[in-house]
Order: sequence, then structure tokens, then C-alpha cells
Amino acid sequence: MTPTLEVKNLTVAYNGANALEGVSFRIGAAERVAIVGPNGAGKSTLFKAMVGLLHPSQGTTETNGAEIGYVTQHSDVDKTFPVTVHDVVMMGRIGRMGWLRWQRPHDREVVRRCLAQVGMLEYANRQIGELSGGQQQRVFIARALAQEATILLMDEPFAGVDVPSQEVILEILDRLRSQGVILLVSLHDLNLAVERFDRLALLNRRLIAFGPPRQVVTPETLAEAYGGQALWRGEDYALVLGDISCCDEEGHTHG
Amino acid sequence: MADLMHLFLQPLSYPFMVRGLLASVMVGTLCAVIGTYVVLRGMAFFGDALAHAILPGVAGAYLLQISLFWGALIMGLLTAVAIGYVSQRGQVKEDTAIGVIFAACLALGVALLSTVQTYSVDLTHILFGDVLGVSDTDLWLTAGLGLLVLLAVVLLYKELLVISFDPILAATLRLPLNALHYLLLVLIALTVVVSLQTVGVALMVAMLVTPAATAYLLTRRLWHMMIVGAVVGAVSSVAGLYLSFHLNVASGAAVVLVCTFFFVLAFLFAPRQGVVWSWWRGRKAAHQALIEQ
Repeated sequence: MTPTLEVKNLTVAYNGANALEGVSFRIGAAERVAIVGPNGAGKSTLFKAMVGLLHPSQGTTETNGAEIGYVTQHSDVDKTFPVTVHDVVMMGRIGRMGWLRWQRPHDREVVRRCLAQVGMLEYANRQIGELSGGQQQRVFIARALAQEATILLMDEPFAGVDVPSQEVILEILDRLRSQGVILLVSLHDLNLAVERFDRLALLNRRLIAFGPPRQVVTPETLAEAYGGQALWRGEDYALVLGDISCCDEEGHTHG
Repeated sequence: MADLMHLFLQPLSYPFMVRGLLASVMVGTLCAVIGTYVVLRGMAFFGDALAHAILPGVAGAYLLQISLFWGALIMGLLTAVAIGYVSQRGQVKEDTAIGVIFAACLALGVALLSTVQTYSVDLTHILFGDVLGVSDTDLWLTAGLGLLVLLAVVLLYKELLVISFDPILAATLRLPLNALHYLLLVLIALTVVVSLQTVGVALMVAMLVTPAATAYLLTRRLWHMMIVGAVVGAVSSVAGLYLSFHLNVASGAAVVLVCTFFFVLAFLFAPRQGVVWSWWRGRKAAHQALIEQ
């Protein structure tokens, strides 16, 4: 079954102010969508509202029954925790196992398959903290796959990841797309978004533009999203100046 | 050889020693297993506070001439829920909430106990435990409640693991985070109450933290950590009690010191993270670099 995702008029309030206002978009086919926007634009908030971690004051997120997997920033968990790569991916199976149930051979099979999909099977018995940032990111993708999610929300997957690992992750995302998985990826790097993604969502509290990269990235939309921080450099490039330091999103400071 | 056997067997000729050993092993095991979560979730202060906060329950039960156990149980559960509630309301930070409640309870307990004639003896027993005064009833209560706690830890293993490692994933999986969090607080409270007679209030936190921390240095999976911690806790309890018998020192203190000894060993010599091996590897690497130059 091909997953579909529709966000309708999503509005989320934080401490009285709107962090997101009336965001609507629809993704029908297997697509790789980048969500870009300045710090505090509400990228994490959008994801959290979509998976139900935050209660929107208005609006809905609808799928055709497809499961949404949320891959948080890999820096969000305690890397010294005594869990192996296999244990981490098995956590994705909890929703399928149900209460008071132990893992079955089928669950272990799914975990191995998902680890193989991201090329991390040989690391299954490593403790999670023994991996590089990029490898951890792949493990967390595998965990979302183990949830049998066909819509993946990924929060800054390339933060703190070196360029070769970034390429490996992008290849994994290519493969997932060809398998029909919808990918929503929040990014700081506007160039990467333009070059490697099918569609862009330009966000700054409101959804400023949504569509093919070349249509979304124009001098006008950039000025609206980034204010003085973005510099228009012709057809192919957009350069974001100013605060590009990664990735302290708005959600963390408000707990 | 016969002398050595004598050292081991002689204490067993006293029924109070046998009961004490049984109680210590159960408590050492239980504390270490629950202590795994205390260590991993950074709840050492909560555990320490909870142990002290049951004092008024014990004192009240003593004054009312009812079983100390039930007084401790009620107070332990009340405090766990109160700390959970005040810190979740978010007006003050968790350690502040714990500090306020813990000190208030301790003060109330001391006030209640100070009205009793034999104040200092009773307080000493409560503070430092009285493992040799364990009765058959205490043993059965410890065994029953201990098994209940362990059963919960086993049955909810994957849920408690995921809320501790990645609460965000737990929330997206629609697990009842709050309920599980409170359940964990209640399990810690039950453990503290069950262990009260054996370890006492003051040294409780050591039994919760030290064996689990030792296991943390030696393992890299949660259930391995629980098993290794349980072994360290149980072995320390037995060794500590024997030491206490032969050297005539306070039993709770002896048990805690043996636990700490194991922790120091692990801290220095743990295969991957031990201080000594890290130093040795660093030296070897430096030496190698020197040769290559």
C-alpha cells in the first residue's frame, strides 16, 4: 500500500504564541521532502505535532493508515546507556509486540532485516555509544523501519555527521524512496535541500512555499523566510548567512 | 582448611544469622535490580530522599504500636507519589522538590521519635538497620514483595527500558509515560521499604546505587547489568555480614563497604572503561608513536 500523508491547517501554540500557523500540505507519492527554514521556524514543532508529542490547537495530520516513524536528532539520547544496536532497533517493535509480550523470532527477523537495509547488520552487537554519529543515525532509521513505518520524519539527520556518512544516509534515503517510503527531512543546509530533494517546504511559522525546489527557492520566498540572513546567488544557489549554527531547535528550550 | 570451614559454618549455627543472611541476599539482589534504573535515570538523590522520608511512617507506626513495615510502606508510597507530582507540575525543579519533601519528612520523623524514651537506640536501628533482628514474618514479607517488584521489572522490561532510554520514542509508541514513571517510583519505594530493616535509612542509597554502578562499568546491555548488579549485591551482602560477624562491626556498614570495594575494582580494572587499562592503552600508544618517529 502506498502511504499518503496530509497535514491540514496545523496550528501549535507555545506559551501563548503560535509556533506554527495553519500549515497545510499533502504528499501522495513516494517523495523525499526537505523542510527548511531558520532556527526557531517550527521544524521540530511540526514533527512533534504530527506524531502526537504536541497537541495542536488546530488542524490534523492524516495518513491512509500508514505508520509514522519519528527519527529524532541522534544527540537526543544517552549514548552511554547499556543497549546494543540490536536492542535499540528492537525498541521499534514494542508497538507491534504489545504488553507483557517478549520478542518473537519474527521480531528478531524484522530487526535484522532493517539493520541490513541501512547496512548496519554487522554492528548489531555493538553498544550504541561505540558508533560514529552517522552510524547512530542509520541505526535510528532502522528503528523507525522496524516500527513498519512507511512515513519517516527525520529531524536534522545530518547534524554532526561527516560528509561520507551524509552520502551513505542519502543513498539509504534513495533506496527507501524507491520502496515507496515518504521521507520528510528537516535541514539547515539549503543547498543540500535544493540539490538532493524532490520537494521543499519553506517554513517560518507559516508554510511560505511548498513544491519543487526551483519554484520554492526564489529571492522573495527566501527574504520572507530568512529575512536578512539569506543571500540570493542566482538560479542554482542560495546561501544562508548568519545563524547557521546547528541545531538547537525551539522545542528543547521549552522542554 | 577445617578452620576456614569453621569461619563459614560457625555463624550459621545461630538462627538469627541464617535469617539475616537470607534477608541480606534478597535485599542485595532486589536493590541492585531496581538500582539499575536508579543509576541509569540519575535518580540517586530520589532514592536517598525516599529512604529518609519513610522515617515518620516508621516512627508513627512505632508510636501506634502497629507493624513498622506498614507505616514505612504507606509513607514510602505517599512520598514517591508526592515527589513525582510536585516535580511534574514543573513549578520547581525535581531536585528542589525532592529536597523540600525529604527534609520535611525527616524532620517530622525525628520529631515523632524524640517523644519516645528509648529515642537514640530506636533511631540507630532505623538509620543503620538491624539485620540480625529480622523475624520470620519479615523474611516472608521481604520475599513476597521482592518477588512482586522483580515480576514487574521482568514483565515490563521493554516498556521501562524504552521510557528510560528514549522517552520520545515511548511517547510516539503511545506508551503511558506518566503511569510507567509513577510505577517505577512505586517500585523503588517498595524496594526501599522492604530493605529498611536490613540496610537502614542512611545507607539505603548505597545498596541502590553501588552494585548497579559496578555492573554499569562491566556490561553493555540492560539485562546483563541487572544480573551482574544482582550478583554483586548478593555477594557483597553475604561477605559483609560474615565480616560483620567476625570483626564485630555494624552489619549495614560492612555490606556497603564490600559493595564499594567491588565498585573500586570495577572502576580501576573494567575491561573497556577501567582507569588502569585506559592509562595502559594510552601509554602503549604513546610508546608506539615514539618508536614510529
